[in-house]
Amino acid sequence: MSQSNKYPAQTEAVAEELLKTPDTLEDTEPLDKNVRLMSPGRMVMRRFFRSKLSVVGLVMVVGLFIFCWLGPLVYTAWGETQQDEGKLEITQQEVTFTVDGEEYTFIQVVETGKGVNSLAKPDGRHFLGTDKYGRDVFTRLMYGGRISLMVSFIAVFAITLFGIVFGGIAGYFGGVVDNVIMRVCDVLMCLPGFPILLIIGTLLDAADVESQHRIYYLMAYLTLFSWPGTARLVRGQILSLREQEYMVAAEAMGYSVPRKIFKHLIPNVMPQLIVSMTLSLGSMILYEASLSYLNMGVRAPYAAWGTMINIVAEDPNILKNYFNVWGPPGICIIIAVLGFNFVGDGLRDALDPKMRR
Amino acid sequence: MIKYIIKRLALSVLILLGVSLIIYVLVRSMPVNFIEDKVAAMNQGGAVIDEATVENMKILYGLEDDSFIGIIKGYGNWLVKLCRFDFGTSFKYGSPVIDVIRDHMGISFAVAFIATIFEFMIAIPLGITAATHQYSFRDYLVTVLVMVGISLPAFFFGQVLKDLLANKMGWFPPSGLVDATQSYTGVSLFLDYLRHMFIPVLTVVILSIGARMRMTRTNMLEVLNSDYIRTARAKGLKESKVIYKHAFRNTLIPLVTSLAGLLPSLFSGAIITEQVFDLPGIGNIAYKAMIVADIPFIMGYNMFLALLSVLGVLLADLMYAVVDPRVKLG
Repeated sequence: MSQSNKYPAQTEAVAEELLKTPDTLEDTEPLDKNVRLMSPGRMVMRRFFRSKLSVVGLVMVVGLFIFCWLGPLVYTAWGETQQDEGKLEITQQEVTFTVDGEEYTFIQVVETGKGVNSLAKPDGRHFLGTDKYGRDVFTRLMYGGRISLMVSFIAVFAITLFGIVFGGIAGYFGGVVDNVIMRVCDVLMCLPGFPILLIIGTLLDAADVESQHRIYYLMAYLTLFSWPGTARLVRGQILSLREQEYMVAAEAMGYSVPRKIFKHLIPNVMPQLIVSMTLSLGSMILYEASLSYLNMGVRAPYAAWGTMINIVAEDPNILKNYFNVWGPPGICIIIAVLGFNFVGDGLRDALDPKMRR
Repeated sequence: MIKYIIKRLALSVLILLGVSLIIYVLVRSMPVNFIEDKVAAMNQGGAVIDEATVENMKILYGLEDDSFIGIIKGYGNWLVKLCRFDFGTSFKYGSPVIDVIRDHMGISFAVAFIATIFEFMIAIPLGITAATHQYSFRDYLVTVLVMVGISLPAFFFGQVLKDLLANKMGWFPPSGLVDATQSYTGVSLFLDYLRHMFIPVLTVVILSIGARMRMTRTNMLEVLNSDYIRTARAKGLKESKVIYKHAFRNTLIPLVTSLAGLLPSLFSGAIITEQVFDLPGIGNIAYKAMIVADIPFIMGYNMFLALLSVLGVLLADLMYAVVDPRVKLG
């Protein structure tokens, strides 16, 4: 049902109201009650939720968040790095022997266990089985997701912040400032991303960074190298926005420069920024997972989705026979990235002012 | 036009200088010390090496001074050599960096090139049908499949394909480039290469098809909404003619431009895909060199990548002007 089709009916209603005599008009509702007004925010929401794909994406993302953050609170049977020592089997056995014609009887108690219950098949004890070192895959999935999701959120927010500040300054001031910032952007954009991260990964080895913190440092570097994309987006928008009349008005009001940039220009760039942020959340998750897969990011015994798949590269046996060890983290990565992509795509359509569907 | 190109080339040189400085400083601060590893290996092999020899080796490799000034000096030396097109000798592979890159580039290029052809052949028709049947079931199906393709992590999907097609079905070899148990020559060797490259190419195609299809769809939609298409329809042209003769040509503009932007990805090699399938491509070779801090090779490889991406951007801009007569460079 399109918005524009509604207007004729409404205008007819309004016309009828106006045709009524003044004394009857007093009893009816005020005029503006008859015209349904929608705030831009509500319109965006409506358009967003109309698309099934974006709702599916939202459900996927929210579901993963609940799984990763609330899951470990509910399912506490195993810890992230806890190894399953296997069930102890206690057997009793009567041992009889004779010394000096007298018969002695002992009861021998034997404890037998596998040591580590590694590569267990999925059952009630371990929903998704255990990995090579007897750690519960299902539990590690939840802890690994926390890292992957949190790290990419932090990285995307940092990239956006840098992008807004530098892009805003470059676009607003222009001239030399713009030139310097854009040339820095050019250099950073030409840096080969992945090889550099590998180099930094070995730098972290020397600095003896704890294995669960490595990924934060890596993502910090990734942020340093990836803000130019956002900065360009912001700059381009601001270049066209600052010529508009409301900016002349802002100038005439004597507003300060930060106020003009951050209160009048940046909010107008936000729609595009939100879309690009959502879409880059997906790619950040992929980045994090790839780094962990190459054993550069989070390292065992700590869990990250990429780290959990890493085992496949070392041990072909696991690749062939134990999909329950390396499949689920991969599927989780796909769900997360797909979810963010669907949401981003839906937002792009919903925020597009040209779309009036 | 020529003035524009010269200006851009000069700018590119500046960019490359900045890139090289950053990479050199990073690599020089890498903790893995190639010399010490090598000396340790030689000591294990029975040779006794004294301090003086170690120092001599360091001087030979240009690594004698690890202070800030030393690093800057080393950078200067590296730069001077670079001007003579001398990238130095790779520590790990023992031959000139340029030779190593050239020897292994072919495989990466073959995989990327075949994949790109298939990518365009599949993505463009899909994008057009999705656009001409906007909001239909077909559109949604294509969009969803493509989105799934974009979201697949290369290392995971590669392993899945390897597990399915190589281990379970046994149709293709799981890794490597040649069958070590056979000694093929000529045509059969070539066929063996193709057999080994099948799964990597398939992985790359499925992963990259999505972006290309979305691009086609978006452009096609934009073109279909323009006035001259309405005119063409009003003239009573056949729908197929409107789409393939009038709309498609303008859809091609950004596609052709993006072809130039593909330059880096054609030659640079895919580190992860090559690592998963153990292909001896440039990405895999670089990954192995990177771990042992092979400074000349890392510098050479990264500069090669940076050069490719600078050229890619420049070419894409030039292509724009060539393909679209409305665009004027200045």
